[in-house]
Amino acid sequence: MSLAWRQQQERGSPTAIRLMAWIAQSLGRPIARGVLHPICLYFLLASGSASHAIGQYRERLFGRPVTWRDLYRHYLAFAATILDRVYFLRGRFDPFDIQIHGLEVLDRELAKGRGCVLLGSHLGSFEVVRAVGLSRQHIEIRVLMDEQNAPLIRHLIQELNPAVAETVIQVGGAGTMLQVKECLDRGGVVGIMGDRVMQQDQSLACTFLGGQARFPTGAIRLARVVQAPVVLFFGLYRGGNRYEVYLESFSEGMELPSDQQAIDLQQGIQRYADRLEAFCRRAPDNWFNFYEFWNDSN
Amino acid sequence: MSEQPMFEHEVATLIVQTLKLKIDPATIQPDAALFGDGLGLDSIDALELSLAISQTYGYQLKSSDPDIKAIFSSLRALANAIVKNRTK
Repeated sequence: MSLAWRQQQERGSPTAIRLMAWIAQSLGRPIARGVLHPICLYFLLASGSASHAIGQYRERLFGRPVTWRDLYRHYLAFAATILDRVYFLRGRFDPFDIQIHGLEVLDRELAKGRGCVLLGSHLGSFEVVRAVGLSRQHIEIRVLMDEQNAPLIRHLIQELNPAVAETVIQVGGAGTMLQVKECLDRGGVVGIMGDRVMQQDQSLACTFLGGQARFPTGAIRLARVVQAPVVLFFGLYRGGNRYEVYLESFSEGMELPSDQQAIDLQQGIQRYADRLEAFCRRAPDNWFNFYEFWNDSN
Repeated sequence: MSEQPMFEHEVATLIVQTLKLKIDPATIQPDAALFGDGLGLDSIDALELSLAISQTYGYQLKSSDPDIKAIFSSLRALANAIVKNRTK
Protein backbone atom coordinates (compact mmCIF):
# COMPACT_ATOMS: atom_id res chain seq x y z
CA MET A 1 0.00 0.00 0.00
CA SER A 2 1.40 3.33 -1.00
CA LEU A 3 1.41 5.70 1.92
CA ALA A 4 4.28 7.75 0.59
CA TRP A 5 2.33 10.99 0.66
CA ARG A 6 1.98 10.77 4.40
CA GLN A 7 5.70 10.61 4.84
CA GLN A 8 6.10 13.67 2.74
CA GLN A 9 5.99 16.70 4.98
CA GLU A 10 3.68 19.48 4.04
CA ARG A 11 5.98 22.06 2.55
CA GLY A 12 5.95 25.68 3.63
CA SER A 13 5.26 27.20 6.99
CA PRO A 14 2.29 28.89 8.64
CA THR A 15 4.03 32.22 8.08
CA ALA A 16 4.46 31.56 4.37
CA ILE A 17 0.83 30.52 4.03
CA ARG A 18 -0.29 33.61 5.92
CA LEU A 19 1.91 35.78 3.73
CA MET A 20 0.49 34.22 0.58
CA ALA A 21 -3.07 34.69 1.83
CA TRP A 22 -2.27 38.32 2.61
CA ILE A 23 -0.76 38.96 -0.83
CA ALA A 24 -3.74 37.25 -2.46
CA GLN A 25 -6.22 39.44 -0.68
CA SER A 26 -4.38 42.76 -0.43
CA LEU A 27 -2.48 42.96 -3.68
CA GLY A 28 -4.92 41.04 -5.83
CA ARG A 29 -4.84 37.91 -7.93
CA PRO A 30 -2.63 39.17 -10.83
CA ILE A 31 0.21 40.11 -8.48
CA ALA A 32 -0.25 36.99 -6.37
CA ARG A 33 -0.04 34.89 -9.52
CA GLY A 34 3.26 36.57 -10.32
CA VAL A 35 4.60 35.43 -6.96
CA LEU A 36 3.73 31.83 -7.88
CA HIS A 37 6.57 31.67 -10.39
CA PRO A 38 9.48 31.84 -7.93
CA ILE A 39 7.57 29.44 -5.66
CA CYS A 40 7.20 26.94 -8.48
CA LEU A 41 10.82 27.32 -9.41
CA TYR A 42 11.71 26.51 -5.81
CA PHE A 43 9.52 23.39 -5.91
CA LEU A 44 11.02 22.36 -9.23
CA LEU A 45 14.53 22.52 -7.79
CA ALA A 46 13.86 21.35 -4.24
CA SER A 47 11.16 18.74 -4.45
CA GLY A 48 12.71 15.65 -5.99
CA SER A 49 10.13 13.13 -4.84
CA ALA A 50 7.18 15.21 -6.04
CA SER A 51 8.83 15.77 -9.41
CA HIS A 52 9.49 12.05 -9.66
CA ALA A 53 5.82 11.30 -8.96
CA ILE A 54 4.61 13.85 -11.51
CA GLY A 55 7.05 12.37 -14.02
CA GLN A 56 5.68 8.87 -13.51
CA TYR A 57 2.12 10.07 -13.91
CA ARG A 58 2.80 12.07 -17.05
CA GLU A 59 4.78 9.27 -18.61
CA ARG A 60 1.82 6.94 -18.15
CA LEU A 61 -0.46 9.54 -19.67
CA PHE A 62 1.66 10.62 -22.63
CA GLY A 63 4.05 7.71 -23.09
CA ARG A 64 7.10 9.91 -23.19
CA PRO A 65 9.59 11.13 -20.58
CA VAL A 66 8.68 14.26 -18.69
CA THR A 67 10.48 17.54 -19.42
CA TRP A 68 11.39 20.40 -17.07
CA ARG A 69 8.81 22.46 -18.89
CA ASP A 70 6.09 19.85 -18.17
CA LEU A 71 7.03 19.79 -14.50
CA TYR A 72 6.96 23.56 -14.27
CA ARG A 73 3.51 23.73 -15.87
CA HIS A 74 2.32 21.08 -13.47
CA TYR A 75 3.59 22.90 -10.38
CA LEU A 76 2.13 26.15 -11.67
CA ALA A 77 -1.32 24.60 -12.05
CA PHE A 78 -1.05 23.23 -8.50
CA ALA A 79 0.10 26.56 -7.05
CA ALA A 80 -2.67 28.39 -8.90
CA THR A 81 -5.36 26.18 -7.38
CA ILE A 82 -3.89 26.64 -3.90
CA LEU A 83 -3.93 30.40 -4.41
CA ASP A 84 -7.49 30.36 -5.71
CA ARG A 85 -8.52 28.40 -2.66
CA VAL A 86 -7.96 31.62 -0.72
CA TYR A 87 -10.59 33.37 -2.85
CA PHE A 88 -13.03 30.47 -2.82
CA LEU A 89 -12.81 30.22 0.96
CA ARG A 90 -13.43 33.94 1.26
CA GLY A 91 -16.48 33.51 -0.96
CA ARG A 92 -14.96 35.60 -3.73
CA PHE A 93 -15.98 34.15 -7.05
CA ASP A 94 -16.14 37.37 -9.09
CA PRO A 95 -12.59 37.10 -10.54
CA PHE A 96 -13.41 33.67 -11.94
CA ASP A 97 -15.10 32.08 -14.89
CA ILE A 98 -16.58 28.91 -13.40
CA GLN A 99 -18.64 26.62 -15.62
CA ILE A 100 -20.72 24.11 -13.73
CA HIS A 101 -21.92 21.08 -15.66
CA GLY A 102 -24.49 18.69 -14.25
CA LEU A 103 -25.92 20.75 -11.39
CA GLU A 104 -29.26 19.15 -12.24
CA VAL A 105 -27.76 15.77 -11.30
CA LEU A 106 -27.11 17.02 -7.77
CA ASP A 107 -30.55 18.63 -7.57
CA ARG A 108 -32.18 15.40 -8.66
CA GLU A 109 -30.33 13.26 -6.09
CA LEU A 110 -30.90 15.76 -3.27
CA ALA A 111 -34.60 15.86 -4.07
CA LYS A 112 -34.78 12.26 -2.83
CA GLY A 113 -34.08 13.58 0.64
CA ARG A 114 -31.30 11.17 1.60
CA GLY A 115 -28.48 13.65 1.21
CA CYS A 116 -25.66 12.97 -1.18
CA VAL A 117 -22.05 11.82 -1.07
CA LEU A 118 -19.94 13.99 -3.36
CA LEU A 119 -17.09 11.76 -4.43
CA GLY A 120 -14.14 13.93 -5.40
CA SER A 121 -10.43 13.56 -5.95
CA HIS A 122 -7.11 15.37 -5.86
CA LEU A 123 -7.49 16.13 -9.55
CA GLY A 124 -7.90 19.89 -9.80
CA SER A 125 -9.64 21.79 -7.04
CA PHE A 126 -12.22 20.47 -4.63
CA GLU A 127 -12.57 23.87 -2.99
CA VAL A 128 -14.33 25.12 -6.12
CA VAL A 129 -17.26 23.14 -4.70
CA ARG A 130 -17.98 26.40 -2.83
CA ALA A 131 -19.17 27.77 -6.18
CA VAL A 132 -21.83 25.07 -6.18
CA GLY A 133 -22.83 26.26 -2.72
CA LEU A 134 -23.07 29.77 -4.11
CA SER A 135 -25.74 28.84 -6.61
CA ARG A 136 -27.46 26.47 -4.17
CA GLN A 137 -27.19 28.33 -0.90
CA HIS A 138 -29.66 26.19 0.99
CA ILE A 139 -27.43 23.12 0.65
CA GLU A 140 -25.36 22.13 3.69
CA ILE A 141 -21.93 21.15 2.39
CA ARG A 142 -19.40 19.43 4.63
CA VAL A 143 -16.05 18.00 3.62
CA LEU A 144 -14.24 15.06 5.15
CA MET A 145 -10.58 15.98 5.69
CA ASP A 146 -7.46 14.50 7.17
CA GLU A 147 -6.62 17.67 9.07
CA GLN A 148 -3.99 16.04 11.22
CA ASN A 149 -1.88 15.40 8.14
CA ALA A 150 -2.52 18.81 6.63
CA PRO A 151 -2.21 21.26 9.53
CA LEU A 152 -1.31 24.15 7.22
CA ILE A 153 -4.47 23.78 5.20
CA ARG A 154 -6.40 23.57 8.45
CA HIS A 155 -4.85 26.86 9.61
CA LEU A 156 -5.60 28.44 6.26
CA ILE A 157 -9.27 27.46 6.36
CA GLN A 158 -9.57 28.51 10.00
CA GLU A 159 -8.08 31.90 9.25
CA LEU A 160 -9.92 32.63 6.03
CA ASN A 161 -13.34 31.33 6.90
CA PRO A 162 -14.07 30.03 10.41
CA ALA A 163 -17.62 29.16 9.31
CA VAL A 164 -16.26 26.78 6.68
CA ALA A 165 -13.73 25.41 9.19
CA GLU A 166 -16.69 24.45 11.38
CA THR A 167 -18.09 22.28 8.61
CA VAL A 168 -14.92 20.25 8.09
CA ILE A 169 -15.28 16.71 9.41
CA GLN A 170 -12.02 15.27 10.70
CA VAL A 171 -11.37 11.70 9.56
CA GLY A 172 -10.46 8.86 11.86
CA GLY A 173 -12.51 9.74 14.94
CA ALA A 174 -15.02 7.38 16.54
CA GLY A 175 -17.83 9.79 15.71
CA THR A 176 -16.60 10.72 12.22
CA MET A 177 -19.05 8.64 10.28
CA LEU A 178 -21.90 9.52 12.66
CA GLN A 179 -21.23 13.16 11.79
CA VAL A 180 -21.36 12.25 8.13
CA LYS A 181 -24.61 10.35 8.58
CA GLU A 182 -26.19 13.17 10.55
CA CYS A 183 -25.36 15.62 7.74
CA LEU A 184 -26.80 13.26 5.11
CA ASP A 185 -29.92 12.75 7.25
CA ARG A 186 -30.46 16.50 7.16
CA GLY A 187 -30.35 16.28 3.37
CA GLY A 188 -26.83 17.69 3.17
CA VAL A 189 -23.85 16.99 0.96
CA VAL A 190 -20.65 15.37 2.23
CA GLY A 191 -17.54 15.68 0.08
CA ILE A 192 -15.09 12.78 0.25
CA MET A 193 -11.90 12.31 -1.74
CA GLY A 194 -11.80 8.89 -3.31
CA ASP A 195 -8.22 8.67 -4.51
CA ARG A 196 -5.92 8.69 -1.47
CA VAL A 197 -5.53 5.70 0.80
CA MET A 198 -5.09 6.78 4.40
CA GLN A 199 -3.46 4.72 7.09
CA GLN A 200 -6.38 2.59 8.25
CA ASP A 201 -8.45 2.73 5.08
CA GLN A 202 -9.64 -0.43 3.45
CA SER A 203 -8.64 -0.33 -0.18
CA LEU A 204 -8.85 -2.27 -3.43
CA ALA A 205 -6.48 -2.52 -6.36
CA CYS A 206 -7.76 -1.15 -9.67
CA THR A 207 -6.46 -0.61 -13.15
CA PHE A 208 -5.60 3.05 -13.50
CA LEU A 209 -3.70 4.62 -16.39
CA GLY A 210 -2.37 1.24 -17.43
CA GLY A 211 -1.10 0.18 -14.01
CA GLN A 212 -2.34 -1.14 -10.69
CA ALA A 213 -3.16 1.37 -7.98
CA ARG A 214 -5.08 1.05 -4.73
CA PHE A 215 -8.15 3.16 -4.04
CA PRO A 216 -9.97 3.54 -0.70
CA THR A 217 -13.36 1.87 -0.54
CA GLY A 218 -14.71 4.03 2.29
CA ALA A 219 -16.94 6.44 0.37
CA ILE A 220 -18.78 3.73 -1.52
CA ARG A 221 -19.16 1.51 1.55
CA LEU A 222 -20.43 4.49 3.51
CA ALA A 223 -22.98 5.40 0.85
CA ARG A 224 -24.20 1.82 0.88
CA VAL A 225 -24.54 1.66 4.67
CA VAL A 226 -26.62 4.83 4.80
CA GLN A 227 -28.23 4.22 1.40
CA ALA A 228 -27.25 7.62 0.10
CA PRO A 229 -26.72 8.41 -3.57
CA VAL A 230 -23.20 9.18 -4.81
CA VAL A 231 -22.41 11.96 -7.27
CA LEU A 232 -18.96 12.31 -8.80
CA PHE A 233 -17.30 15.71 -8.54
CA PHE A 234 -14.46 16.99 -10.69
CA GLY A 235 -13.30 20.60 -10.35
CA LEU A 236 -10.84 21.11 -13.19
CA TYR A 237 -8.55 24.10 -13.40
CA ARG A 238 -8.36 25.20 -17.02
CA GLY A 239 -5.71 27.92 -16.77
CA GLY A 240 -6.13 31.65 -16.29
CA ASN A 241 -9.26 32.30 -14.25
CA ARG A 242 -11.21 29.37 -15.68
CA TYR A 243 -12.61 26.41 -13.79
CA GLU A 244 -14.90 23.64 -15.00
CA VAL A 245 -16.97 21.68 -12.54
CA TYR A 246 -18.44 18.35 -13.57
CA LEU A 247 -21.11 16.59 -11.54
CA GLU A 248 -21.96 13.07 -12.65
CA SER A 249 -24.42 10.57 -11.32
CA PHE A 250 -22.53 7.57 -9.88
CA SER A 251 -24.83 5.38 -7.76
CA GLU A 252 -28.38 5.54 -6.50
CA GLY A 253 -27.96 4.40 -2.92
CA MET A 254 -29.88 1.15 -3.24
CA GLU A 255 -29.54 -1.74 -0.85
CA LEU A 256 -27.83 -4.79 -2.35
CA PRO A 257 -28.09 -8.48 -1.50
CA SER A 258 -25.04 -9.35 0.59
CA ASP A 259 -23.67 -11.85 -1.94
CA GLN A 260 -23.40 -9.09 -4.54
CA GLN A 261 -21.75 -6.52 -2.31
CA ALA A 262 -18.11 -7.50 -2.78
CA ILE A 263 -18.38 -7.66 -6.59
CA ASP A 264 -20.30 -4.41 -6.66
CA LEU A 265 -17.65 -2.71 -4.53
CA GLN A 266 -14.82 -3.77 -6.84
CA GLN A 267 -16.82 -2.67 -9.88
CA GLY A 268 -17.72 0.61 -8.23
CA ILE A 269 -14.13 1.47 -7.35
CA GLN A 270 -12.99 0.56 -10.85
CA ARG A 271 -15.73 2.74 -12.33
CA TYR A 272 -14.48 5.64 -10.18
CA ALA A 273 -10.89 4.99 -11.32
CA ASP A 274 -12.05 4.95 -14.95
CA ARG A 275 -13.81 8.30 -14.63
CA LEU A 276 -10.77 9.73 -12.84
CA GLU A 277 -8.59 8.53 -15.71
CA ALA A 278 -10.92 10.11 -18.27
CA PHE A 279 -10.71 13.45 -16.46
CA CYS A 280 -6.91 13.14 -16.11
CA ARG A 281 -6.79 12.96 -19.90
CA ARG A 282 -8.99 16.02 -20.13
CA ALA A 283 -6.87 18.07 -17.72
CA PRO A 284 -3.43 16.42 -17.43
CA ASP A 285 -1.85 19.21 -15.34
CA ASN A 286 -4.50 18.84 -12.63
CA TRP A 287 -3.12 15.68 -11.01
CA PHE A 288 -2.08 16.70 -7.49
CA ASN A 289 -1.15 13.38 -5.92
CA PHE A 290 2.55 14.02 -5.63
CA TYR A 291 3.60 10.64 -4.25
CA GLU A 292 4.18 7.11 -5.51
CA PHE A 293 0.65 6.34 -6.66
CA TRP A 294 1.03 3.02 -8.44
CA ASN A 295 1.93 -0.23 -6.78
CA ASP A 296 3.55 -1.80 -9.81
CA SER A 297 5.79 1.10 -10.75
CA ASN A 298 9.48 0.40 -10.94
CA MET B 1 -22.74 -17.04 34.45
CA SER B 2 -23.65 -13.55 35.60
CA GLU B 3 -25.96 -11.36 33.57
CA GLN B 4 -23.34 -8.94 32.25
CA PRO B 5 -21.12 -11.39 30.37
CA MET B 6 -24.26 -12.83 28.80
CA PHE B 7 -25.20 -9.43 27.49
CA GLU B 8 -21.67 -8.85 26.31
CA HIS B 9 -21.98 -12.06 24.35
CA GLU B 10 -25.22 -10.82 22.84
CA VAL B 11 -23.55 -7.58 21.71
CA ALA B 12 -20.55 -9.54 20.41
CA THR B 13 -22.95 -11.62 18.33
CA LEU B 14 -24.57 -8.47 17.01
CA ILE B 15 -21.15 -7.12 16.01
CA VAL B 16 -20.18 -10.33 14.21
CA GLN B 17 -23.52 -10.61 12.41
CA THR B 18 -23.79 -6.96 11.44
CA LEU B 19 -20.27 -6.72 10.09
CA LYS B 20 -20.26 -10.27 8.68
CA LEU B 21 -17.03 -11.07 10.51
CA LYS B 22 -15.72 -14.58 10.13
CA ILE B 23 -15.00 -15.12 13.82
CA ASP B 24 -16.71 -16.71 16.80
CA PRO B 25 -18.35 -13.94 18.91
CA ALA B 26 -17.04 -15.67 22.04
CA THR B 27 -13.46 -14.89 20.98
CA ILE B 28 -13.94 -11.12 21.20
CA GLN B 29 -12.10 -10.05 24.34
CA PRO B 30 -14.35 -7.75 26.42
CA ASP B 31 -11.55 -5.28 27.14
CA ALA B 32 -9.70 -5.38 23.83
CA ALA B 33 -9.93 -2.53 21.34
CA LEU B 34 -12.67 -2.96 18.77
CA PHE B 35 -11.26 -0.50 16.28
CA GLY B 36 -7.87 0.12 14.77
CA ASP B 37 -5.40 -2.46 15.96
CA GLY B 38 -7.86 -4.61 17.89
CA LEU B 39 -10.54 -6.24 15.76
CA GLY B 40 -9.40 -4.03 12.90
CA LEU B 41 -12.76 -2.35 12.42
CA ASP B 42 -12.91 1.08 10.80
CA SER B 43 -15.17 4.10 11.12
CA ILE B 44 -17.67 2.82 8.55
CA ASP B 45 -17.96 -0.40 10.54
CA ALA B 46 -18.64 1.81 13.57
CA LEU B 47 -21.44 3.53 11.67
CA GLU B 48 -22.94 0.24 10.53
CA LEU B 49 -22.76 -1.02 14.08
CA SER B 50 -24.42 2.08 15.51
CA LEU B 51 -27.29 1.69 13.03
CA ALA B 52 -27.74 -1.92 14.16
CA ILE B 53 -27.64 -0.87 17.83
CA SER B 54 -30.26 1.77 17.17
CA GLN B 55 -32.48 -0.79 15.45
CA THR B 56 -32.03 -3.54 18.03
CA TYR B 57 -31.95 -1.57 21.28
CA GLY B 58 -33.47 1.80 20.36
CA TYR B 59 -30.29 3.54 21.45
CA GLN B 60 -29.26 6.17 18.94
CA LEU B 61 -25.60 7.12 19.18
CA LYS B 62 -24.79 10.70 18.30
CA SER B 63 -21.56 12.31 17.14
CA SER B 64 -22.13 15.07 19.71
CA ASP B 65 -21.89 12.55 22.57
CA PRO B 66 -18.68 13.51 24.43
CA ASP B 67 -18.12 9.88 25.40
CA ILE B 68 -18.38 8.56 21.86
CA LYS B 69 -14.75 7.48 21.75
CA ALA B 70 -14.97 5.70 25.08
CA ILE B 71 -18.20 3.96 24.09
CA PHE B 72 -16.59 2.38 21.04
CA SER B 73 -13.36 1.57 22.83
CA SER B 74 -14.22 -2.02 23.75
CA LEU B 75 -16.98 -4.60 23.77
CA ARG B 76 -17.48 -4.05 27.50
CA ALA B 77 -17.78 -0.27 27.15
CA LEU B 78 -20.22 -0.65 24.30
CA ALA B 79 -22.35 -3.19 26.14
CA ASN B 80 -22.41 -0.95 29.22
CA ALA B 81 -23.49 2.05 27.17
CA ILE B 82 -26.29 0.03 25.60
CA VAL B 83 -27.51 -1.21 29.00
CA LYS B 84 -27.58 2.36 30.23
CA ASN B 85 -29.33 3.91 27.24
CA ARG B 86 -31.46 1.22 25.67
CA THR B 87 -35.14 1.94 25.11
CA LYS B 88 -36.11 -1.54 23.98
